[in-house]
Amino acid sequence: MEFITESHYYRVMPFLLEGLVWTLLITFVGLLFGFILGAVFGFARLSKNKLIYGIATVYVEAVRGTPILAQILFIYFGLSDLMDVNIDKITASIIAIAINAGAYIAEIVRGAVYSIDKGQEEAGRSIGLTRGQTMRYIIWPQAFRRMIPPLGNQFVISLKDTSLFSVIAVGELLYMGQQYYGMTFQAFQALTMVCIMYLIITVPTAVYLRRVERRLDV
Amino acid sequence: MISVKDLHKSFGSNEVLKGIDAEIKEKEVVCVIGPSGSGKSTFLRCLNLLEEVTSGDVIIQGDNLTDPKININKIRSRVGMVFQHFNLFPHKTVLDNITIGPIKVKKMSKSEAEKVARPLLEKVGLSDKADAYPESLSGGQKQRVAIARSLAMEPSIMLFDEPTSALDPELVGDVLAVMKELAREGMTMVVVTHEMGFAREVGDRVLFMDEGIIMEEDKPENIFGNPQNPRTKEFLSKVL
Repeated sequence: MEFITESHYYRVMPFLLEGLVWTLLITFVGLLFGFILGAVFGFARLSKNKLIYGIATVYVEAVRGTPILAQILFIYFGLSDLMDVNIDKITASIIAIAINAGAYIAEIVRGAVYSIDKGQEEAGRSIGLTRGQTMRYIIWPQAFRRMIPPLGNQFVISLKDTSLFSVIAVGELLYMGQQYYGMTFQAFQALTMVCIMYLIITVPTAVYLRRVERRLDV
Repeated sequence: MISVKDLHKSFGSNEVLKGIDAEIKEKEVVCVIGPSGSGKSTFLRCLNLLEEVTSGDVIIQGDNLTDPKININKIRSRVGMVFQHFNLFPHKTVLDNITIGPIKVKKMSKSEAEKVARPLLEKVGLSDKADAYPESLSGGQKQRVAIARSLAMEPSIMLFDEPTSALDPELVGDVLAVMKELAREGMTMVVVTHEMGFAREVGDRVLFMDEGIIMEEDKPENIFGNPQNPRTKEFLSKVL
């Protein structure tokens, strides 16, 4: 017991728990907005209107084709520079996750809606439902079920991506670990615990998703 | 009741319907037969605008479907459609499949809609399946639910697009029995089918389609007993 309480594995924990709070906050709030962006741009990508489709495609491809590290630096330093304002680090991080995940979620939404058999829409329309009603009551509930596994996957990816915000000194999990070994030179112990903290979130998520997936493809 | 005038339909450069003229009277059961690729399903789907009409007129109870100002949702609620692959809503129970139309389109309450749905389920012989999900049903049961779902909107016309083609042979009979019952009650029906027995027995008139036009139309006994058009003869000799 003495060994454990004395060890850096233990002493790093208050730092990491504080970091974890920020990591989770940025992930959840960022993904909430990311989901809204994803839904909007996902539907835009299904639009027959060439302009709407084009705008959404540019967004999706621009985000997917650039590294998230460049995106966060662009938002935090680039936009601050351009608009001559200081964006708060946490806000910048949330925006970065939202914009980045939004592009991937847009593809998840598009793919899921597209995957629903055309006959479902025809059946809905043939009993007199409007396009909107057919989407809301027939297509979307089925598409949303198919979106759960890839959305969970995106949650894990975005959670890990928040570690990149250490470059702008956001006090998230990895950054707090770095702070700790910066003071104590115990990099191995600190980083071991950092990784364990990530795994405590990501592994159960992955296990849960696998179960959902199995239940979905009967 | 339904009047089709010089109906053309193209998919890109491929003209599938090359000028269809047809009149369907109230309470009439019209069966459409013909080889695959003849345009018979496309013709049927034009009758509730699931396919956009390229040119020509489709007039249902006085409403011209090709009028851009027409409220197609209103018309579709009067024209029921049954699909080859049933297209039941898999995330809804059998009862919810049937009530969603009355609830969302006719703005009925849930209990009102159920009062419509339950007798229909009984009519198609599936009262005990109200709370089941479609995946637990056989093909024939699914198709009967799909018929009930259409009937819940109290349509004045029913369109059937090869309703038994996706069914195992032993399940066809139950679906045809429901359709016969509907015909007997006086429903106006347009049925695209490969069931020549059904066409002969239940149809008031048979349209033979090939290459995007109606090649021959007549009473079933004449079409099957004494076809005039050589294409009709050739087709019937292959399927009968």
